[in-house]
Amino acid sequence: MKFKDYYETLGVERAASQDEIKKAYRKLARKYHPDVSKLPDAEARFKEVNEANEVLQDPEKRAAYDQMGANYRAGQEFQGPPPGWDAGFEFRGRGDERGFGTAGDFDASEFFETLFGRHARQARGQARGAHRASGEDHHAKVLIDLEDAYRGAQRSISLRMPVLDAQGHVTLEERRLDVNIPKGIRAGQHLRLAGQGGPGVGGAPAGDLFLEIDFNPHPRYRVDGRDVYLDLPLAPWEAALGATVSVPTPAGSVELTVPPGSSAGRKLRLRGKGIPSAQPGDLYAVLAIALPPADSATAREAYAAFGRAFPSFDPRR
Amino acid sequence: MNQHPSSVLAGPVVEEEVHLTLIELCRVCRVPEEQVLDWVGEGVLEPTGGSPAEWRFAGAALRRTRQATRLARDLEINTSGIALALDLLDEIEALRAQLRRVAGGGR
Repeated sequence: MKFKDYYETLGVERAASQDEIKKAYRKLARKYHPDVSKLPDAEARFKEVNEANEVLQDPEKRAAYDQMGANYRAGQEFQGPPPGWDAGFEFRGRGDERGFGTAGDFDASEFFETLFGRHARQARGQARGAHRASGEDHHAKVLIDLEDAYRGAQRSISLRMPVLDAQGHVTLEERRLDVNIPKGIRAGQHLRLAGQGGPGVGGAPAGDLFLEIDFNPHPRYRVDGRDVYLDLPLAPWEAALGATVSVPTPAGSVELTVPPGSSAGRKLRLRGKGIPSAQPGDLYAVLAIALPPADSATAREAYAAFGRAFPSFDPRR
Repeated sequence: MNQHPSSVLAGPVVEEEVHLTLIELCRVCRVPEEQVLDWVGEGVLEPTGGSPAEWRFAGAALRRTRQATRLARDLEINTSGIALALDLLDEIEALRAQLRRVAGGGR
């Protein structure tokens, strides 16, 4: 386990005031909030920032952390706190919901939990003395391939779900589900799996599981709603004279007629070849012109002859 | 642990096949009714139907409500701030989509 420098995470000095810490936290929370930021690691960074704030915004935790961490640097191997390190401090963990997570709980690192213990996670809908209560609805994200949306697919997903053990403690349990991905599903849509959420209490029905679908990034295709885009490179003579070329689509190759005089950036539409549904999307081939390399005497001569054939052509006019 | 080792689960696509009542939306997104009433008042959510008891939210409201809930909770944004933030996020998403449509556009 590595030592975490919470001051470094928030970008503040060790001597920073509570006010400066709050300001730095707010700024970073806005920057890395996963609903706002599209950085691939936004969620991880948002969690780090929240964890740092969890410790530094609480004067007691901060003082204990300072005392223990005075001799550590970020990334250094952390042996665990010395016995009695937290004597005399009173931790007041925030019981309210914070942080970005499927259950809205605070998702602490191993380092944090070693120091401050497992965050008191309340199993909602369980306590409150209710005799009969429906299970809560759960949410999770699932990444699928674009091809899955074209054909429909069966996917095995694993979820970490909070469950209550016999002592009433919350533990995370790995759960595997085989899910039918319907043909035509799009990024951002949700599947509702009835009865697959949290268990009900007193014979009440279980909650539902909502799976939010997103696509794995594809090396070839870009997706916009139901429409799919791909870059289609052409040789200069194909673009100028027209050609029939083979275009790979997620549902297999199709022949596409490129009209003569096509320029780079032109979009050719293959109607109905986007994501299938009652109103299927379209597939767009965005034309690009690829130049063959002038890496031999013959090639250079061909380019020179090309140039001589267009004496008045000026691409900058 | 897999409780249903042999069965494959299937369910409706919320955005296409499901309409939610106020109570259902609040339950699914774990948000108090007053909060949703505020957001409807601000135009963040646009249900059909006259009174809250008759409201029906399109499936797409699920994603929007969850987004609003997270932003309100994590960044302590008030109702009008949520409305503004979601409008701006929609606009950014539309611009990103436009970028994706041109050659070599980044994801």
